[in-house]
Amino acid sequence: MNSGTPSSSAAGAGSADSTAPRRNSKRPKYSRFTQQELPACKPILTPKWVIGTFLLVSVIFIPIGVVSLFASRDVVEIVDRYETDCIPEALRNDKVGFIQSDRSKTCQRTLRVPKNMKQPIYVYYQLDNFYQNHRRYVKSRSDQQLRNNGSLQDTGPCKPEDNTAGGPIVPCGLIAWSLFNDTYGFTRNNQQLNVSKRDISWKSDREHKFGKNVFPRNFQNGTLRGGATLKPNVSLSEQEDLIVWMRTAALPTFRKLYGKIEVDLQRDDFINVTLENNYNTYSFSGKKKLVLSTTSWLGGKNDFVGIAYLTVGGLCFFLALVFLLIYLIKPRQLGDPSYLSWNRNPSGH
Amino acid sequence: MKRYVYINDDNLAKDIYCDNRISNRKYTILNFLPKNLWEQFSRFMNQYFLLIACLQLWSLITPVNPASTWGPLILIFAVSSSKEAWDDYNRYLLDKKANEKEIWIVRQGIRKLIQAQDICIGNIVWLRENDEVPCDLLLLGTADPQGFCYVETAALDGETDLKTRSIPSACMGIDVDLLHKIKGVIECPSPNKDIRRFDANMRLFPPFLDNDIFPLTIKNTLLQSCYLRNTEWACGVAVYTGNQTKLGMCRGIAEPKLTAVDAMIDKLTGAVFVFQIVVVIVLGIAGNVFKDKQGRKLWYVQYPKEGPWYELLVIPLRFELLCSIMIPISIKVSLDLAKSLYAKFIDWDVEMVDPETGIRSNAANQAISEDLGQVEYILTDKTGTLTENKMIFKRCCISGRFYGNESGDALTAKVGQFHTRHYPKMKKPLYVLLLVCAWFWRIKTEIFLILTSMHLQCNMKYLTLWSSHLTGKECLWWLGNAKAGNFSSCQKEQMKLFFLLPILIVSGQQVRTFAEAVEQYAQMGLRTLCLAWRKLEEDEYQEWTSMFKEANSTLVDRERRVAEVCQRLERDFEILGVAAIEDRLQEGVPETIEILRKAGINFWMLTGDKMSTAIQIALSCNFVSPEPKGQILIIDGKTEDEVCRSLDRVLLTTRITESESKQDVAFVVDGWALEIALKHYRKPFTELAILSRTAICCRVTPSQKAQLVELLKLCDYRTLAIGDGGNDVRMIQQADIGVGISGREGLQAARAADYSIGKFRFLKRLILVHGRYSYNRTAFLSQYSFYKSFLICFIQIFFSFISGVSGTSLFNTVSLMAYNVFYTSVPVLFSVLDKDLSERTVMQHPQILFDCQSGRLLNPSTFAGWFGRSLFHAIVVFVITIHSYAFEKSVMEEVAMVAVSGCIWLQAFVVALETNSFTIFQHLAIWGNLVGFYAINWIVSSIPTSGMYTIMFRLCEQPSYWITMILIVATGMCPVLALKYLRYTYRPSRINLLQQSERLGGPILSSGIIEPKSRSSLDKDIPTDSVYEPLLSESPSATRRSAGPTQRLDSVQSQSPPHSTHTRKDN
Repeated sequence: MNSGTPSSSAAGAGSADSTAPRRNSKRPKYSRFTQQELPACKPILTPKWVIGTFLLVSVIFIPIGVVSLFASRDVVEIVDRYETDCIPEALRNDKVGFIQSDRSKTCQRTLRVPKNMKQPIYVYYQLDNFYQNHRRYVKSRSDQQLRNNGSLQDTGPCKPEDNTAGGPIVPCGLIAWSLFNDTYGFTRNNQQLNVSKRDISWKSDREHKFGKNVFPRNFQNGTLRGGATLKPNVSLSEQEDLIVWMRTAALPTFRKLYGKIEVDLQRDDFINVTLENNYNTYSFSGKKKLVLSTTSWLGGKNDFVGIAYLTVGGLCFFLALVFLLIYLIKPRQLGDPSYLSWNRNPSGH
Repeated sequence: MKRYVYINDDNLAKDIYCDNRISNRKYTILNFLPKNLWEQFSRFMNQYFLLIACLQLWSLITPVNPASTWGPLILIFAVSSSKEAWDDYNRYLLDKKANEKEIWIVRQGIRKLIQAQDICIGNIVWLRENDEVPCDLLLLGTADPQGFCYVETAALDGETDLKTRSIPSACMGIDVDLLHKIKGVIECPSPNKDIRRFDANMRLFPPFLDNDIFPLTIKNTLLQSCYLRNTEWACGVAVYTGNQTKLGMCRGIAEPKLTAVDAMIDKLTGAVFVFQIVVVIVLGIAGNVFKDKQGRKLWYVQYPKEGPWYELLVIPLRFELLCSIMIPISIKVSLDLAKSLYAKFIDWDVEMVDPETGIRSNAANQAISEDLGQVEYILTDKTGTLTENKMIFKRCCISGRFYGNESGDALTAKVGQFHTRHYPKMKKPLYVLLLVCAWFWRIKTEIFLILTSMHLQCNMKYLTLWSSHLTGKECLWWLGNAKAGNFSSCQKEQMKLFFLLPILIVSGQQVRTFAEAVEQYAQMGLRTLCLAWRKLEEDEYQEWTSMFKEANSTLVDRERRVAEVCQRLERDFEILGVAAIEDRLQEGVPETIEILRKAGINFWMLTGDKMSTAIQIALSCNFVSPEPKGQILIIDGKTEDEVCRSLDRVLLTTRITESESKQDVAFVVDGWALEIALKHYRKPFTELAILSRTAICCRVTPSQKAQLVELLKLCDYRTLAIGDGGNDVRMIQQADIGVGISGREGLQAARAADYSIGKFRFLKRLILVHGRYSYNRTAFLSQYSFYKSFLICFIQIFFSFISGVSGTSLFNTVSLMAYNVFYTSVPVLFSVLDKDLSERTVMQHPQILFDCQSGRLLNPSTFAGWFGRSLFHAIVVFVITIHSYAFEKSVMEEVAMVAVSGCIWLQAFVVALETNSFTIFQHLAIWGNLVGFYAINWIVSSIPTSGMYTIMFRLCEQPSYWITMILIVATGMCPVLALKYLRYTYRPSRINLLQQSERLGGPILSSGIIEPKSRSSLDKDIPTDSVYEPLLSESPSATRRSAGPTQRLDSVQSQSPPHSTHTRKDN
């Protein structure tokens, strides 16, 4: 497959050397680069190569697909959608009214564990139709302020949640202001299940993005109340719920880590969840789900990768077969001169 | 419009005229920035980017940091400004060197050494041997007692031989010491750029001479930048200084040429712009609708109830900014870099170095290499371009006897022998004439009459001769004593001669023989020279000389009057003989023309020669296939009607032959008929020009050459003009591509041209190799640039649908900027090394150039292919990314980085798939770029303050990241590969077929090889004169031909009057 050897240039160079150069005749330096004669590999698409490639892809992809699918299937996941069920039936006509009222919003849910779940079990809350990636929203934060104690006034991008009468808001901006405030408590067989809220955020965020000596100020003091409040005497780097929330999601459907259950759950265990349904997703008909999930080497439960791999692998195998069949049934010699026409307007292309 | 120069007057001239400070600079320090910026912003693309960059400063609408546009924009501007600044600085340095050179001048009667820039008009400047002339001088005195000096004018017109300059007759005999004090006035035209004319006169004040007016010509001048040679010293008075010298006026900034590819890219850019506007409008409306229907319900976004007045515009403008990357900011930089490399490859090519002279080819214009691959018409000069311009004295006819045969090398000696024996009387004038012709070989005169005066003696001293030109264009008057030594040096040059058209005004029986001889020699493709003489009586000569002098010193209409005077002598000649000179074809000309014609390029030959010579040359260099395949149709006629009829006939024939068979039709037209055709029958002539693949235009003037180029350009053809002499300059500048041959006629053409080559045969390599590769590479490079921009832009658009159509950018500033400027620009730049076919294959199958000519690799449909591919790839990247990074993994920064990585991986494979030949550089660029991508992102990810802190490290640890990458590549590339394979195997393009056979050693290569023909001698290959029998028997030349020699003579005779009237009218 290698060609592109220099042709007659050597001869030309030799004969030219003998004559004395005249005006503007500095002879160009000869090198394979300047003569565009670098040794080059010139692959062409022969049937052998192409069919081989497709076969190879399918041979690699199908096992990976199977493995991924198994990994995904191994993950045990409990999803409980609760935003409607947690409103008393009588009040379901005016969900927004209910959520904005001062009534008790405590709600009891019971989850059945379908399979054995090994610890750690991750507790997520999932929001649907929540645009954390909305342009007004995603920009409404001040990383400076979150990081440094001295940058209290750095509330430029935070509008409209930047200042109150009492001074700048820390943490400012719409993201922090709309912090998710549903809470969950778990019991199994009337025993408290501990939900660890430590290390649920990224370590790098705790150490470098949220300051150890930055404390909340004027937070949720305004006329308009958003989401959760923060403990005033805990530094931002320890407010892990806030840190998790402020890692904005790229999709309108997302899960955020609430905590970890660090004990194994047995099949057919019943888990009682006591939840405070505080967060308003009713204005924009968003869904709220509680998710308990184990994890695999690929992450959470996600069949997409496995199915995609199997599909691509299968298609490649199919293509390889088709090409092989065409090749066998209708062999065509590459570079056949009979196809070479110099007609200026060929029908092709 | 005259200027008066007072010699040696220090007080007068200073203020009126500029000093001798030369300035080639475009800018000064103060105006550099505004002027340069203004120039750059006069381009549409730059205006667009500036607008985008300004909009980005509005933080309400900008999706990313303004740096993502400002950065590249400033970079691009800085690069091109600093290039300009560097060029200008170099020009300044050169100017400074020239300006500060020390020159001897006379001030207040004393010789002084001053800097060149302080020379004023009227100063007397002294030069020594080998000095450079600092400004335009009028020669006053030289070391030579006869008043001659020699100059090398290479810098001015490229001619390397020495030229003689003489002092005006008025200054003859003035003592050297008195030259300091000379006073007088010179009346000369205002500064102009004509380096061949200086129509002025001079009056010296007493005591030197009386108030007599003396004519001055260019022969009396020393022009700036020439060198004084072989003369001990010379002095002259400054007449033009600084930028007003002839050289200074000649300098001009050439209009930048736009290639077809550039025009296509501009058109596509326009289309993309329209598409972008449509997208922006659609998304803007969608965004506003979403905002009102949904957005206001999203309490966490806190839309204010009442927005400002421009509220409706905010979302569309955001999308405009988001989509602005659709037009790649990097394309101009990439293309400029690629183009300068193409030009370098031409400069570097050792196969295009003339082995005889060592002259290398040079691309003066770096920007138009792609056009070389799209040439459709080549207009070529004949002498010096197709031929060697080395005149060899082949045959002659003296007093009715023919001398010379096939191997006519020793001819001159033989003629001498014969002649001494038979016509001892005649020998001397004939020889003198030939030698004089040799002396003037440089001058392109068509007729050359030489009268020897009474004083002609063996030593050839005091010889007065002058030539006049049939067309009256150039008249040369030369008086003085020619040194015998100069003549002998000319002899060595092997009789380089121009030819003469015979005007046989003389009556007598001898004429017929000579007319036959002329005809016969012309048929052999030789240039003929008719030599005649007449004895002048002393008083007749004196009378004529004074008339000539008078005519020669007029300022107005000098040429015409001189021509009139010359005509008075052109009578009653005795014909001495006819000399025939061969101008051999250059090596490789027929093969080159054959290959290029096979490549679908149409050839037009434009020459000043006469018809029969031109046709012979055309036949011998494969312009026209010989009978029966080829046909030559002649358009002629003296009056409008005749030309019109002739043109109609030719057009009709051409239409018929063109439609029914593959016959080779060429038409021949002479300058006279062409003039009429262009003036009155432009439409039919244009149609003929389009139909006929070949044309031979003889007896055309430089401006007609340029007109023909213009005609073809108006028909939307890509034209290439090639020539070697000053008369081709206009054509070369007019054409899309001008190629100059650095030949014997100097470098004038080569200087004006975009490309200069040493020999005509290099043209095929220039077009088929360099032009073709450049076109292919640029086609890929430009479309790829759009592809990668579309890819990332589509992802942004898709993302906007899942982000509430609010105009959020998925990618951060750093990624966007680096994506355009770095990740996707570097690997593709190395596609300038890509070769789809080897040079050998292209040479064997020149027809492959069709694909380039018809723009098959870059047109709206190929562009649509790339557009579709980018859409598909964007869907692949986007869908896979948001599905595999869903739910708990859907962190904004991670998703963005996965999508960017997916794009980078895909584009690496796209470049790899589209590369035809991988050199080590391509491998390094493509795969090294991937490594570079990760390296850069790791660095960025390790900066705690950056938004991407730790992102890349986290991703690289995740198996799902790598699995996603593999999935993206396979999903994106498999369909592309499958389609390409199917097309490649089952519907291959011609390029594919040749690739296959080239690399698998297929049968095509073994069959279609064009054997280089052995060099054909002119005498042998030319068939009889029946070859150019006109098709229609009623055509005047047909009857003429069949009627035999007597008639032929008539035709020759009858041809001359219109010519002369025509030319007289011209003047």
